Amino acid sequence: MKVKKSLALILTCALAATALASCGGSSNNSSSSSKAEESSSASSSEASESSSESSTPEVTAETVDGEENLQTYPLTDSPVTLRYWYPNAGSMAELGDFNDSYFFKWYEEKTGVHIDFVVPAAGSEAESFQLLFASDNMPDMIYGYPAQSAYSYRSGQDKAIDDGYFIDVAEYLDYAPNYSSWLANHDDLRQASYSDTGKLYGMWGIWSGMDSEHTYADYGLSIRKDYLDKVGLDVPTTYSEWETVLTAFKDQLGIKAPLYTSKYGIDTGEMMAGYGTAPYFYQKDGKVQYGPLDDSYKDYLTLLNDWYQKGLLDPDFATRSSSGVTADNDMILNDQVGALMDYGTRLDNTYVSRGASNPDLVYVGAPQPTKDKDDPSYVEPAWRDNTYSSMLHGGCNCISAESDNIELAIRWLDGFYAKDVALNANYGTEEYEGTVWHEDASTSTGRMIDYDYRYANPDGLSSGMVLVQYSAKNPPIRYEGMQVECATEIKQEGYSIWKQYEPTNTLPTRMTMTSEEGTESASIYTDIETYVQECNVKFIMGQMSLDDYDSYRDTIKSMGIDRVIELKQAALDRYNSRTF
Amino acid sequence: MTTNASPASLTEKQREKAMKRRLIKRDWRMNKAVYLMAVPVIVYFIIFNYIPMGGILMAFEDYSIKKGIFGSTWVHFDNFIRFFNSVYFWRLIRNTLLISFYGLIFSFPFPIIFALCLNEIRNVKFKKLTQTISYMPYFISIVVVVSIIYDFCSSDGALTKLAAAFGDTGGALIARPEWFRTLYIGSNIWQHLGYNSIIFISALAAIDQELYEAAVIDGASRWKQTIYITLPELSSTIVVLLILRLGQIMNVGYEKTILMYSPATYDTADVIASYVYRVGIIDADYGYSTAINFFNSIVNFIVLFVANTISRKLSETSLW
Repeated sequence: MKVKKSLALILTCALAATALASCGGSSNNSSSSSKAEESSSASSSEASESSSESSTPEVTAETVDGEENLQTYPLTDSPVTLRYWYPNAGSMAELGDFNDSYFFKWYEEKTGVHIDFVVPAAGSEAESFQLLFASDNMPDMIYGYPAQSAYSYRSGQDKAIDDGYFIDVAEYLDYAPNYSSWLANHDDLRQASYSDTGKLYGMWGIWSGMDSEHTYADYGLSIRKDYLDKVGLDVPTTYSEWETVLTAFKDQLGIKAPLYTSKYGIDTGEMMAGYGTAPYFYQKDGKVQYGPLDDSYKDYLTLLNDWYQKGLLDPDFATRSSSGVTADNDMILNDQVGALMDYGTRLDNTYVSRGASNPDLVYVGAPQPTKDKDDPSYVEPAWRDNTYSSMLHGGCNCISAESDNIELAIRWLDGFYAKDVALNANYGTEEYEGTVWHEDASTSTGRMIDYDYRYANPDGLSSGMVLVQYSAKNPPIRYEGMQVECATEIKQEGYSIWKQYEPTNTLPTRMTMTSEEGTESASIYTDIETYVQECNVKFIMGQMSLDDYDSYRDTIKSMGIDRVIELKQAALDRYNSRTF
Repeated sequence: MTTNASPASLTEKQREKAMKRRLIKRDWRMNKAVYLMAVPVIVYFIIFNYIPMGGILMAFEDYSIKKGIFGSTWVHFDNFIRFFNSVYFWRLIRNTLLISFYGLIFSFPFPIIFALCLNEIRNVKFKKLTQTISYMPYFISIVVVVSIIYDFCSSDGALTKLAAAFGDTGGALIARPEWFRTLYIGSNIWQHLGYNSIIFISALAAIDQELYEAAVIDGASRWKQTIYITLPELSSTIVVLLILRLGQIMNVGYEKTILMYSPATYDTADVIASYVYRVGIIDADYGYSTAINFFNSIVNFIVLFVANTISRKLSETSLW
């Protein structure tokens, strides 16, 4: 009896507490909206300025680029848990749960929102993403990289909204004053963010301190500087120099994979840009082209075939993992790789802190190789893969249309677009000033990463672990300044070498297809893509003769590539004529 | 019996019916417990095997998860036509059948031979030990097996080196289409030999020992005993298992294939199941992948049916 009574008492108390809390919450909301009004009047001059620039759809803002945080915290008084699909298992390092990250702890305290991170296993993100749609259990927020096919809803982004999976964020911008302040202020950002029909697929990640003229390159060719020194050669710039260098690596140093590729042989376009072609679709004078149809593509395969025969490529490349450098790090760490495509953050001796056996390991950035200047077919490379031709950094947070807390989810995400939160998300919270970062007036953000703490950690933490322990991985606002200014000299040099190539040939990642176009193109192109990947490898390994290239091209055409090009062209034309 | 049933025959019919009813009732009364024990199994099959069959409808639809099976657009046979017209159609069929067929030829006899050999061992301890060791590979995860294959068959792996010693110059075996089936089936034999032999070993144990004693008295050698007693006694087990295997002829599991293949070996390695995996799970084209799998099942069913009919005609043994 006693137990029952006390249980009833507890339950009643709990009920009363929640009732009170919800009352408090609603009153707080009303006060927050009045606050928002206040600040809107304060910065109305800016708002009118920016809204006059923008045409449809109209976005108004009360601040510029999230300078002032327009959300009121905490976002909720009663504890709420939101589920967040967060495909970053690969970068978790030794962190067990993202809630253990000091940044997310701080943000939870600030917002009052607890996040239940749903982290798919590394390597199975694509499957997991597709299965989200098949399950009845869509998390409230979904982080993805929509430009990658692995993270795309089969029939396109508009269709995902039409089918009722994700909300059209454009309709909810009232809850996202900070995000709106970015959209309102940048025409190119609006062009890249909205779809052809004026929908917002999600809240797009933005590079701060960048615009179309000022793009950032974080990916390119990198080569072992210590090996170059050993064989007495400079960083190669032409294909013939590359061959000399790779041959020297192989013959003098016995490197197993002088040039490393994933199992597809051709990964990204940096290495082949000197041939004036690209691994897949690209544009030339506003016309969509498909690389494998070019004669120069065949010439490049001939070169790779030659290199493979000479042992300048990894003899086992065809059975490596599918994802470039990430999964097969063992080879890099064990001194078996001479050159590869890599991210700028891994230049210099970063791999030493990741466990490389050779302490002398140093990677430097290399320019895209060209043909010899006197070669009649010489072309200036104009390609960039991980391109940031717009301000979008590729990440995007979608919000489930079935969520019970749409407003809260948007407000939670919107915080990241305000400067105070964004700085903490990127550098670490104020509490850790002097540990992971310190103030530095010379940088564009006023903060500087404590380089030694991150890359030569006194507690022996890996740099990846320091990153996720103190800050957020690829948060909605990222700072180019942080990437470059906080890097070592060798990294900075690498960034500036890669940056000289204007990505004029690259198709804008944010051109979108209608759902009919998307379905049709997907059903044709899936088979073609497999076929091309397969034949690339065979041409390189000599299992297929390059004399058969014409019949190979005919097969691609018979599979319907022209139709896909036509659909891409239509999407590109629409993108170019967007007036947002 | 005439079409104009006489009253007498009617009563005969009724009597027959009544007898049947009585039989059923008696059977129920006597075997109540057995029937009750069967209920969970029947329910299991209805829930997990029969109800999902409704999903076959997806094969005829431009399936969208949101609209569901009953709301999606009906496209008739478009998905099937697309598959039959696909450049991969013949290759997938060829690869699936060849891997299955070679698997049947090479891996089916091994467990039988192994069981026969074990049967001849008289030292019980040694026999048990051999048997236990032969099971072990079965319990190794397929992922581990495939990574062992990768290690052995990469450009500096042991098997590649061995092949090179015999004059092979093609490099890593794992990246060569002509080696894929050999590696796939070879590793299968290694992994499943012991486990698949269990059923034969138990069938051997069931053979009446008196037959052997009689044969020994008649002066039959060990070899003759095997040919004239063991194999005929085993034959019904072998035939039933063979028919069941034939019913799976178009089923090459995708797990091992997707772990083992790479674009370099798609030519011989890509099978229907791995294609369905890519189309269905990776590209989320559910209608199309259902159509392919449905087609696959139909072929399987036909093969099973034909094999069973042939077996029934040729011997006494059949599944139904």
